[in-house]
Formats: sequence, C-alpha cells, structure tokens
Amino acid sequence: MYHEIIRKAPLPRISLISGGMDDEREILLQQLKRLPRSVPCMVQIREKHLHSKQLLLLARKAVELNLSGNTLLLINERVDIALSAGLHGVHLPENACPPDKLRAFAPEMLFGCSVHSPASALSASAAGADYLLFGPVFDTPSKRRYGPPQGPDKLGELCRTTSLPVFAIGGITPENANLCLAEGAYGIAALSIFRDNPETAETLDNFYRLLYP
Amino acid sequence: MILPYSPFLCVITDEAFCPVTLAEEALKGGAAMIQLRHKDASGSQLFNWAVEIRKRCRKYKALFIINDRVDIAMASRSDGVHLGQLDMPADAARKLLGKSRIIGISASSPAEALIAEKNGADYIGFGHIYPTSSKEKGFLPIGPESLREAASLVSLPLIAIGGINVENAASLIDLGASGVAVISAVSRDKEPASAAHELVRAIQNRNV
Repeated sequence: MYHEIIRKAPLPRISLISGGMDDEREILLQQLKRLPRSVPCMVQIREKHLHSKQLLLLARKAVELNLSGNTLLLINERVDIALSAGLHGVHLPENACPPDKLRAFAPEMLFGCSVHSPASALSASAAGADYLLFGPVFDTPSKRRYGPPQGPDKLGELCRTTSLPVFAIGGITPENANLCLAEGAYGIAALSIFRDNPETAETLDNFYRLLYP
Repeated sequence: MILPYSPFLCVITDEAFCPVTLAEEALKGGAAMIQLRHKDASGSQLFNWAVEIRKRCRKYKALFIINDRVDIAMASRSDGVHLGQLDMPADAARKLLGKSRIIGISASSPAEALIAEKNGADYIGFGHIYPTSSKEKGFLPIGPESLREAASLVSLPLIAIGGINVENAASLIDLGASGVAVISAVSRDKEPASAAHELVRAIQNRNV
C-alpha cells in the first residue's frame, strides 16, 4: 500500500501521534477531521489503553473518514490491525517485533521504527525500516522520567549513520524545528500538536511552511 | 491444522515464569497444546519466545497458539491464535490467518459459545468453570453444568478452563469437553512436567 503511494508522493515530513486521548467522544476522529487537507502528514494511532477489538474499530472508523490523499494513517505496533483496517503503515517501538519479520506477510506496509541510538538505527535499517523516529530531541514533560533530552547533536550523529528519513520528536516547535532540519532530520513528529485542540491547524500550517519551503 | 486427539491437555503460560521453560516442561509431561499468553511483554520479547516455543512444539508434535496477538502469531508462524471477547473479532483474524491456522475463542456461556461457532472459531475455550486465581475475572465461575449445556449446543471442540486440577479434570471430559486448559495447575507445581503428566493421565484413563 505504501509503495503504491510513495510512487505518487514522497513520505510526508510531519508525523502526528495520538496519545491515550480517545474515549467515547472519539477525539482522535474529531482531530483527524480537522487536519488541513493541503498539509501532507502521517498520523499514528497510538492508544495503548485500548483492547485489540476497540483498536480495530477505531482504525476502521479513521479509514472511513476518507481523509485527504495527503494523509497517511499508521498504527502503533499492530500490523494485524493495520492489515485488517487497511491502514498505510505501522510504527514500531524499539522493543517491537522487527519489521523484516512483519514485512514477510505485509509486503506493502510502510514500517517506521523508533530508535534511541545509532546502533538501534543500524539494526532497524538492516531489518528494512522505511523511516526512523528519534528522540526526545528537546525537553518534553512526557519523557522527563527517562532522563535528559538527547539534544540536536545526537540527532545529527544519528542522521549521519543512516540514509533513511529521520523524524525528530520531543519538544519540537515551529521555533526549534530548523535546528533539527540543520542536523539532517527529514521531518518532525509530535504528540502535543494533535492534543492541542484549538490550535492544531495553525501549528500545522507553521510547520508546513517551514518543512515545505 | 487440526486439533489434537481428544481428550488433550492445553497448557497456558504463566506471566510469573519463563514461558519457554514452562512450555518445555509441559510438553515433556504430555501437553498437546501450548498457548503463549503474556499481556505485558513487548513485541520483540513475545516474538522471541514464540519462535522458541514453536520449535519445541514441533519437536513434540504439539500445537502452538498465541493469545490475542495475531501479528506475533503470523510473524512467528505459529499454529494459530486464541482470542478473548475483547480481542480482534474472529472474522477479521480469519482473513489474516487463512483456513489453515487455528482460531480459538473464549466463551463464558452457552450463548457465547454458539456465537463463537457462528463466527468461525475452530475451538472454544469455555470457562471459567471453577474459581481460579490465574486471571482477574469479573464474573463468577460458570460451573460444570454450563459446560454440559454448551457441549449439547455446539459441535465445535470445547476446551474447559478455570480452576481445573487433577481431581476434577476427568469429569469435564465426561461432560463433553474435548480438552482441558490449565495455567497454575502446571506452572505453580514444583514439578511442572509431572503435574502435566498427571493431568494427561487423569483425562485419558477415565473410568468410562
């Protein structure tokens, strides 16, 4: 599926991640509907508190929204749910089953991998990842318990060890995104933009202007 | 893929112990089916365990299934999955797994067993029959009579689960179960292999 799309358009440079916010009000679906249609982005459904059945239902509803062709829908880790719902891709945490084992039965799927070190980037790349996600680059409340942020230098180091597109995550704003691009990042990823309900469209536009000059 | 000859023992892994070691012991004792069940393990951990358990199950000609994670079952080329009521629905799982792999569904009433049969399950995990400490359950045990009723309603093999031990296992086969599934009766025994062996002996040498 991804390979079909990528022939037409390159991988989006903006990656949005949902985070434990879906409830009966279906906030994720509301946010998806608000995405500016002109802004290419990947949206990762990441709702770890949901059971598989609920997750599949949510993924199917997201697909049924018929989002713009600029939007790729991914899910965290669960390639079975991605296949069932007809999503474009799967984002794998660093401790997930490696992509080559999954690609064996999901050949068209886009696979991204979270990495926290150059060594991890190398193994994800060897296992056939389509893109990498590295962070936290800047300070972000949700990651403070794992220690200080990695910083733009580490991001640069990682980008130089791989030819894959790298997305920077962790405290990225339209103000500091340039630092990431200067270090070789392909794009940026964030949970907060998606959660920041009223300003989502405006923030996305700011990122868009920066990433698609 | 077909289920083991009835009556058989299915051993489900216990989150407190290494699932590979436990599976090996259970297989030595004569378990014909192993289910890997670990809700908190990472994907890579589950995959690595699955590959190891699958090898051992092949060696003992036993079936190997994975709880909930259809993705890991496919990646590790396991024999199938076991799906609870909150997991992926059976029809969706069937599309991914095809006809050659096994899909089991948990049911806790004769009505749920009928639905599971209609949805294309290959077997039904029926329970919990007796009180059990292994899983946090939101409902009371359904009792052996319920098993008899389910067995008269569905033609699919029923695997009885929940509080099963060497004393009560044989009676559940007599009520119509094709097999019994246990966690703690094997995992919490000082000698899991001989505990499994005793259970197999109990269900296979019944006074009929």
